[in-house]
Amino acid sequence: MNLTNHEKPIHAPGSIQPHGMLLVLEEPELKVLQVSSNINTYLGLQPQDLLGQPLSYLIDPQQAIAIAQQLTGENTRNPLKLSISTDRGKRYFDAIAYRTADEAIVELEPIDSPHETSFFSFHAAIAGIMSQIQSTSSLPEFLQLVAEEVRKLTGFDRVMVYQFDPTGAGCVVAETKRADLSPYLGLHYPATDIPQPARELYARCWLRFIPNISAPSVDLVTLNQQPVDLSLSILRSVDACCVEYHRNMGVAALLVIALMQEQQLWGLIACHHYTPKYLTSEVRIACKFLGQLASLELANKIRQQELSDRVKLKSLQSELIESISQASNIVEALIQPAPRLLSLTNATGAAVCLGNEISLVGATPSLEEVRSLIDWADTQVSDNLFATDFLPQIYPPSVEFKATASGLLLLRISKIRCYYILWFRPEVIQTVTWAGDPNSSFQLENGSIRLSPRHSFERWQETVKLKSLPWQSYELDSANDLKTAIVGVVLRKAEELAQINQELERSNRELAAFAYAASHDLKEPLRGIYNYSTILLEDYAALLDLDGVDCLQTIKSLSQRMETLIDALLRLSLLGKAQLNLQATNLNELLQQAIAVLFASRPDAQMSIRIPRCLPTIECDPVLVSEVFSNLMSNALKYNDKADPWVEIGDWERSGEPTIFYVRDNGIGIQAHHHETIFKLFKRLHSQEKYGGGTGAGLAIVKKIVELHGGKIWVESVPGAGATFYFSLQ
Amino acid sequence: MTTRPNQPLLVAEDSNEDFKMLQRLMRRMTVQNPIYRCTTGDEVLDFLYQAGDYQSPAIAPRPSVILLDLNLPGIDGRDVLERLKQDISFKEIPIVVFTTSANPKDVELCYQRGANGYLIKPMDSSELEKTVQAFVEYWLEANTPPSVIS
Repeated sequence: MNLTNHEKPIHAPGSIQPHGMLLVLEEPELKVLQVSSNINTYLGLQPQDLLGQPLSYLIDPQQAIAIAQQLTGENTRNPLKLSISTDRGKRYFDAIAYRTADEAIVELEPIDSPHETSFFSFHAAIAGIMSQIQSTSSLPEFLQLVAEEVRKLTGFDRVMVYQFDPTGAGCVVAETKRADLSPYLGLHYPATDIPQPARELYARCWLRFIPNISAPSVDLVTLNQQPVDLSLSILRSVDACCVEYHRNMGVAALLVIALMQEQQLWGLIACHHYTPKYLTSEVRIACKFLGQLASLELANKIRQQELSDRVKLKSLQSELIESISQASNIVEALIQPAPRLLSLTNATGAAVCLGNEISLVGATPSLEEVRSLIDWADTQVSDNLFATDFLPQIYPPSVEFKATASGLLLLRISKIRCYYILWFRPEVIQTVTWAGDPNSSFQLENGSIRLSPRHSFERWQETVKLKSLPWQSYELDSANDLKTAIVGVVLRKAEELAQINQELERSNRELAAFAYAASHDLKEPLRGIYNYSTILLEDYAALLDLDGVDCLQTIKSLSQRMETLIDALLRLSLLGKAQLNLQATNLNELLQQAIAVLFASRPDAQMSIRIPRCLPTIECDPVLVSEVFSNLMSNALKYNDKADPWVEIGDWERSGEPTIFYVRDNGIGIQAHHHETIFKLFKRLHSQEKYGGGTGAGLAIVKKIVELHGGKIWVESVPGAGATFYFSLQ
Repeated sequence: MTTRPNQPLLVAEDSNEDFKMLQRLMRRMTVQNPIYRCTTGDEVLDFLYQAGDYQSPAIAPRPSVILLDLNLPGIDGRDVLERLKQDISFKEIPIVVFTTSANPKDVELCYQRGANGYLIKPMDSSELEKTVQAFVEYWLEANTPPSVIS
């Protein structure tokens, strides 16, 4: 908005406050060009008496020389003590003299006596404050101390430290006040409350003092009609807007001290008093000095604050990275504890997306909304790190969840795998408490905008709609660092996995070599044991008693059992390396052959085999699948104590799903707690002599073959009432 | 030192050959205790809980010591050990593990689960004899088991 139509420029109002006098002089002879009309009150003179006269008309030549010196010398702007003879006797004044671009200005404030207050009286106070200020450790603590010290110096009812943001809006960040007043701490004020021209004046003068805001201003009487620049004036009259603004707040006296950082107006120390209040120039100088000291220290404190924030952030980061690198579950490590992930970017909500799995932390849009947002980002956002404080502008559906995500920080770790972290910030309306309605700062008058004081200080929510607080560059850096760390951890895990795989491959090869050696080399001594036992039995049985013969028989049968075990081990190890020889196989034919072989090896077996319906033709390795059916059938035959043992073989064809085959028997059954263990290698349920013994390898081999085909096997059984083995082959 | 002849010993052993060898050695050491044998883990539990084929105390008396093989058919010896040591009515019966496994993990696991001893079956027969001798001398002769509930 354009504020240039403001009635009079606030730096040249042509009037002053009534608690002093102002003279505009022309150099070098110091001729009076303008004078405030209140000289009558203080000196009993009319402005016309002075206009056009040299300054020495008013004061003695020595004092005039001192003024001239102050104008030419390095201006300390410390007041001179002046005395002026009037009709009513000698009057004393504090005088300051300074130059503007075109004129010299002298301002006079009445004082009671010519005696200077000792510089040392406030020097000691300031020195004490300085050491306290330096010992404060944090920025808020420092600002609070500054406010308290200013209140001690001035005795004002309320002293606030007010900080500007980059847009010129401000927030009360420290406050000390009379106990009965309501607090303004934490309130935000829109930029228009302290307009740019006013801010510029604060930056130039360091200090602005208005002892009585309601006191009528005093016009300057002028010879040349030139409005004079009163930017540097301590007496400059108060803008009407400012008067009304503060009257609305009930403020009667005002002192404002600038807080500068790197030549910029960082903020203000604003002092309010609810009755008129005058401060001597000494106190004001002390305040200004304190403001300048505080400004110097401010840069330090801000640096310290940033440093400690950064250190905190770094330690947060490294803690997070540490737990990610140690965790088996990255998502868990990221979101536990939840505040850690949020503090990393000062967000209020976050979503961690790994593939299809999305985990939400804090205040976030719904899962569906996050999903759609990611889909949108996939097509619209090309950067791996993307931030906006105005999401609804670029992604209109987000209006629906502005209260949680008007601001978005998106980190893409991998687009292919859909690894994302999203941070959210709410609409600024939800974040900040505004003091009053900032829009009422403007009034349209005769078609031009002019500043107007606000009429209400009720808390009001600013209409900065659909926007969040902006993301700071260090917050983006923080997100980027996290990405680097996650990528590092993922890479390292992949490397570890590759190494484990290599190791596994090696140990598998060794195992295969071992099984091979076992089956061939161990069999040789075994054959020896078997053969020599046989020789002993055949040729020397007569020399032994029954026990001896029995021992030799045992040796023979043990060596046979060992051979069976070794064969099973070899079979299993070969299966581990087997390539499937897949071909279309008619299972009916395959089963008939297997049945034929089974009965050929056990001619005395009594078992009926039921095949209720035709089995399908499927893609499989016929040799291995035949082994599966043989094994299951021979188990059915073995573990059966019924008079009429039977086994039934069938299948279920389910559309779209792999066929399930079953082998059911009416045998002894298997207790539920053994349903898993029976498939383990060399795990038997019964002692050797029961049910014809066995190596405990059969079902392990069956399981291996089924798994090689990509299928599953399981058993259902009621002990005593038979068992059903189910398996699929895809 | 004399054995307490009435105190029954329960041997959980699936290998006939190993059991025969054990019987032979104990006979030589003139062990008088009645020896009961189970060949699977399920059987051991049935024996102690007097379930299944072991419904009466006459065929399944409460043993004063159990000699337990680890690799049993059915329920594994390790699980049998855990079950018994967690059952308040059996946990006081000393259980001595008797196995071919010299795996330190097995030793640790068994003691963690409350085994009272761990003996490794040696290959060498004279070593085996020494091991069995030690078992007999300590668990059947020197040691006083908790009183047997009749």
